Amino acid sequence: MIKDKTDLIKYSKNGLYCEIADIWIDPHKPVKRALITHAHMDHFTFGCDEYFATYETSIILKERIGSQINIKAYDYGTEFKINGINISFHPSGHILGSSQIKFNFAGEVWLITGDFKRQKDDTCMEFEKVKTDYLISESTFGLPIFKWEDPQKTASDITKWIVSSPENTSILFCYSLGKAQRLLNEISKTNFKNNIYTHSSIYKMNNCYKKLGINIANTIQFDKTQNINEFKGSLILLPQSLNKGSYLQKFKNIQTGFASGWMSIRALRKRSGFDKGFAISDHSDWEDILKTVKESEAKNVFFHHGDSEALNRYLNEKKSINVLYFDS
Amino acid sequence: MSLNQFSELFLDLDSSNSINKKLEILKNYFSMNNDLENSWSIYLLAGKKNKRFISGSSLKKLFSDIYEFPLWLIDTCYLKVGDSAEVITLLLKSKNMSKNKFFQEISLDELLNKILPELAFIEEDEKKLRIKEIWENLPNENLLIFNKILTGTFRVGVSIGLITKSIAKYINLDESIVAHRLMGDFEPSAKSFKFLINNKIDLEELNYKPYPFLLANTFEKKVSEESINNFQFEWKWDGIRIQLIKRLGKVSIWTRGQDLVNKSFPELEENTLFIKDDFVIDGELLVWDFKEELPLNFSLLQKRINRKAPSKSIQKNLPIVFIAYDLIEIKGEDKRELDLKNRRINLEKNFHKWINQSEKDISKIFKISNLLFPKTWKEVENLKNKSRDNGTEGLVIKNKNSLYLSGRKKGIWWKYKVDPMQLDAVLIYAKGGSGKRAGLYTDYSFALWKDGQLIKFASAYSGLNNEEIKELDKWIRKNTIERFGPVRSVKPEMVFEISFENIQVSNRHKAGISVRFPRISKWRKDKNIKDADTLENAQKLIINKL
Repeated sequence: MIKDKTDLIKYSKNGLYCEIADIWIDPHKPVKRALITHAHMDHFTFGCDEYFATYETSIILKERIGSQINIKAYDYGTEFKINGINISFHPSGHILGSSQIKFNFAGEVWLITGDFKRQKDDTCMEFEKVKTDYLISESTFGLPIFKWEDPQKTASDITKWIVSSPENTSILFCYSLGKAQRLLNEISKTNFKNNIYTHSSIYKMNNCYKKLGINIANTIQFDKTQNINEFKGSLILLPQSLNKGSYLQKFKNIQTGFASGWMSIRALRKRSGFDKGFAISDHSDWEDILKTVKESEAKNVFFHHGDSEALNRYLNEKKSINVLYFDS
Repeated sequence: MSLNQFSELFLDLDSSNSINKKLEILKNYFSMNNDLENSWSIYLLAGKKNKRFISGSSLKKLFSDIYEFPLWLIDTCYLKVGDSAEVITLLLKSKNMSKNKFFQEISLDELLNKILPELAFIEEDEKKLRIKEIWENLPNENLLIFNKILTGTFRVGVSIGLITKSIAKYINLDESIVAHRLMGDFEPSAKSFKFLINNKIDLEELNYKPYPFLLANTFEKKVSEESINNFQFEWKWDGIRIQLIKRLGKVSIWTRGQDLVNKSFPELEENTLFIKDDFVIDGELLVWDFKEELPLNFSLLQKRINRKAPSKSIQKNLPIVFIAYDLIEIKGEDKRELDLKNRRINLEKNFHKWINQSEKDISKIFKISNLLFPKTWKEVENLKNKSRDNGTEGLVIKNKNSLYLSGRKKGIWWKYKVDPMQLDAVLIYAKGGSGKRAGLYTDYSFALWKDGQLIKFASAYSGLNNEEIKELDKWIRKNTIERFGPVRSVKPEMVFEISFENIQVSNRHKAGISVRFPRISKWRKDKNIKDADTLENAQKLIINKL
């Protein structure tokens, strides 16, 4: 047994780190060995010697970093060993390929949820319940005001928004990986028949998803040299980074929207400057975080990503769960 | 015709940044709903005097009691959301409520005329049950609006001007007539909406209503490219803008904020009755120092407004004057289409006649705004800079050929305000903002030095741009010393230039001074806290002023 069990995985500003395996989880700086929970930009960095990820994540990472990277790909649930620690990936339901990472060492289990959600999403594997002794959970939306609606309702709100403004082009901003494909999947289930255009960064990811067997609505790659009038009544998906005056200037008769969990709060919606906000998230809401903590049967819980003050106190007072803090 | 429609209207208006689209939305709404509901909708949209049936904090407490939900958790959520009604709405969504909702169709009239007023007459426990019943039986989409109406915090990005335009468009009537009909108190009733959209124009019906005020724009340099002879110059008084109306022998005193204030200023009503003619005069109300022949501080005027039926001694100690600067109706004749030059001639002629012919001496309470005659724009600038000596806040520059139009029309009246007073102060506390600024620390308190200590002297909310707000928010979180609920004390490190309009001695404040309209004018990153101003410097400003 190791002396200080609460020390197997430590927190640092460069990411989570396991000293015994000498391996980082989602590091922000180039390191020797990196476990990657999923392929969002803020969860990996260029220049690591060796990457470990699920098969799907490895495909997307190669698309994003380049095919020359040294990456070991594993199926969900397959254990591999590093310095005596058994490590395995388990579906986290966040985006295609996203995983929770399980460390099994000296009879004790540590689980890092990574970004996760429990809501239905046909573009990725459903979240797997994993029992653990130590749970490191994300808490991006760790307040009870966050309660996600059925994504089908959001999708029908989106199509209603587009259809009720036939004289306008509807521009919806969203993350180019994961959210865009989920939206396209949900919209394909509504009766929306008009054209959908996607920015090249989204278009590329769509192809990735399709290659991996995911059902995505067909879209046309968006070319901004085209005559804007052709887009009347249609939907354009753009990455958030393009929400700049200079980019949108040449558009006339547009309405803009943004799809994000934060859009459930009116002040944030107003501040964002978009006409419309659609609250749809690939993270867990409050109830699902609590449910996940409970089902994991963890005796010790850490939170990271987001403000977890409310969760800490609530779990302590109401559920008598020991919430631990990383020394930082 | 119900809360459903109104909720939908709110969502539509709230998710559009285009004025034209909002106009279209409103027009359609008015054409589809009945007079009574439309009337209530205008009442809510204009948001003039929305009644608060319970406070935001009681609402939170109610939710906490009903659902045994920790109050601290609601407060934590509030910091992120910045609106009690919205927090409770979001929390209600996670309650598993019955699918069979009883209250599918509540009309605004039923809600505002019956359900909510009744809450005032029932016991606390009964109140809880009623509100719980409503919460659990209203369609989810209506909860936000219900909670906002309940707490009197309903607001949406629609101005009176936009409401006016949409109604004018809907019934194809001139905007200025609709604007006039909307002035003053708006009683929510089918009758008042019918009056609003009536195609027949009957001046008598408008008798008790003021005209829409003509508002001044901030002076622009380019104005001084024009000949100075085109303009009329007056002091800009720091009082309350008033339309003094006498029609059919009845006096009404309306503020620019469209409050009827006859009760606060009975001596003005009394003296007005000594004038024989009917009229509408646009002017300024001030508390006056008759020895110095100067206006007294605005805070004294505030004391007068807040007191209905002031005693004789208050009337004596805080004497008021009315300074007339425009005559817009005389003997029932609307003179707004006359140019200013001629309106001024009318005003002077009539004003002196009234003063001279009155049985009682009314020359004390009635003054006429004296014109200034600068010969060059340089002189205008000099006059402006001297305005504090006259107890005014600058100049008003009016185009002599202009008509009395409604609203803030460009190029008619300009306000040329004296430069603000300024002090460099140190940020010591920050508080979470509300509304649009929820989740950010945007309410700041600033301090000045006194004997090596920092003493709080002013709070300010505005003046920083969005990037600066974000940057400062980050800094505040990193440099917090202590937290007291929503307030954080921060390391004294940041210096800001604070601008304000006026400064005076005050026993209510720890620093012994209070300032008017404080705001941040510059983030002085170049300054060390040692370079911040002292309280003594602030006191010097008071002395220099006198």
